[in-house]
Amino acid sequence: MHRVDTTQLLKGVLDLACLAALRDEDGYGYDILRRLRTSGLTEVGDASVYGTLRRLFNAGLLTTYVVPSDEGPHRKYYALNAAGRAELQRSGKIWHGFASTMDDLLRERETA
Amino acid sequence: MITTAQDEINLYVFAVRAALGDLPESLRDELLEDLPEHLAEVVADGEGSLTERLGSPEAYAEDLRTTAGFVGGFPDPPRRAAQLIELRERALVHLRRLDARLGPLVGAAHVSEFLVLLRPAWWVLRGYLMAMVVAWLLDDSGQPIGLLPRIGGSEVVALLLLAIGVLASIWFGRRSLQLAKWPQRALYAGSVILVLVALAGFSEADSNRRDANYTDVNYDNPYSNIEDLFVYDEQGRLVTNARIFDQNGSPLRLGNAYCYDDQGNYVDVQRLTYPYCADRDPFRMPAASASADPGAGDASGAPGANGPGPVPTADGSYPAAPSADPTTTPSGNPSLGSSANPSPSSSARPASVSPSPR
Repeated sequence: MHRVDTTQLLKGVLDLACLAALRDEDGYGYDILRRLRTSGLTEVGDASVYGTLRRLFNAGLLTTYVVPSDEGPHRKYYALNAAGRAELQRSGKIWHGFASTMDDLLRERETA
Repeated sequence: MITTAQDEINLYVFAVRAALGDLPESLRDELLEDLPEHLAEVVADGEGSLTERLGSPEAYAEDLRTTAGFVGGFPDPPRRAAQLIELRERALVHLRRLDARLGPLVGAAHVSEFLVLLRPAWWVLRGYLMAMVVAWLLDDSGQPIGLLPRIGGSEVVALLLLAIGVLASIWFGRRSLQLAKWPQRALYAGSVILVLVALAGFSEADSNRRDANYTDVNYDNPYSNIEDLFVYDEQGRLVTNARIFDQNGSPLRLGNAYCYDDQGNYVDVQRLTYPYCADRDPFRMPAASASADPGAGDASGAPGANGPGPVPTADGSYPAAPSADPTTTPSGNPSLGSSANPSPSSSARPASVSPSPR
């Protein structure tokens, strides 16, 4: 059997997590990684976030813009566009449905 | 790390790129397009080396590969191989740990980073080795090739071939990272063969260098067959119990200090004087034992009857005076008075039968 661990679960929801992290505020790659980690997804890796952002951008869900910096490198910011917000809403619904099903399933087993 | 932040980033990206070597180039370029800029942001936002914060480049590449939705490499292996795969992965874990632990010894976070830096050096060496193999295959002049890829003993061809080999190897090396899995494996196999050729060539060259020092001692020693030493005086008489010294007064030891007696028994020689075995005198007459009997009246004791004969003079004639000296030829005394010498061997040498009037 496949043991459930966070790394495995993350693979399925990383797209959604990144979209969610950009919902209220634009951010650059490492910034988004920190948001995910402070939210509790401590096991997410930099490469995963970098790869996911690029894929979401290629899928047309994100826009980017570069912010010059006096100290340090220029930063590439990602922002949700309309398609990204729609996708966040759609995927979010699927997740909620899935999560509550799992919750119910586990609750039944525990009380039975 | 002594390197600058940009060096560190380049090194990291290079290693990630190498770990994604099985992906098509366009896909990989697209995947890594923003990575240097992204890593620059990472470096600017915290402390510690990239490897400490992000893990090894290889692990980073694996993460990237899975999240980017590409599955590279082979299809799932059959179940039989599962144990082998597991063994391999366990070995890889140890290898990675060793990789990180030994890294500081070479001034890098990982030994593999250091080895990646050495890759161009291998390309150059590979070019040289390929040139040597080509020269070895094409050269039929029969002359030794030496350490340059000579064909027909030509230095110009050697240098040309060397330059072509090295440049081709570098050109190939810069593109080999993008090869698909099987060509990549063929390349590895070829590299292993080249390394074996190199080791064989190196050990041959090494042993040639070492043997050169001993050539003079091992070969062409004219004294290696000597068993015994016979010394003769001016008249050709055997000198027994002789001792021989070099210019430093050191005794010379030649031959074997043992004899075989008449019955063929082995006898150790007690006195280390020459000859060890006097009865093996190479100039002794077959009837030498008769000469011991002075009553026989023959001239066996005369010079020429045994011994190599008197020392020849420059014009080739034999000196007459010494043979007539009675004090030096005691056994010749009885025949001194007789004008006719019955011994056939003596009559054959006119010089020896013409004594001085004294």
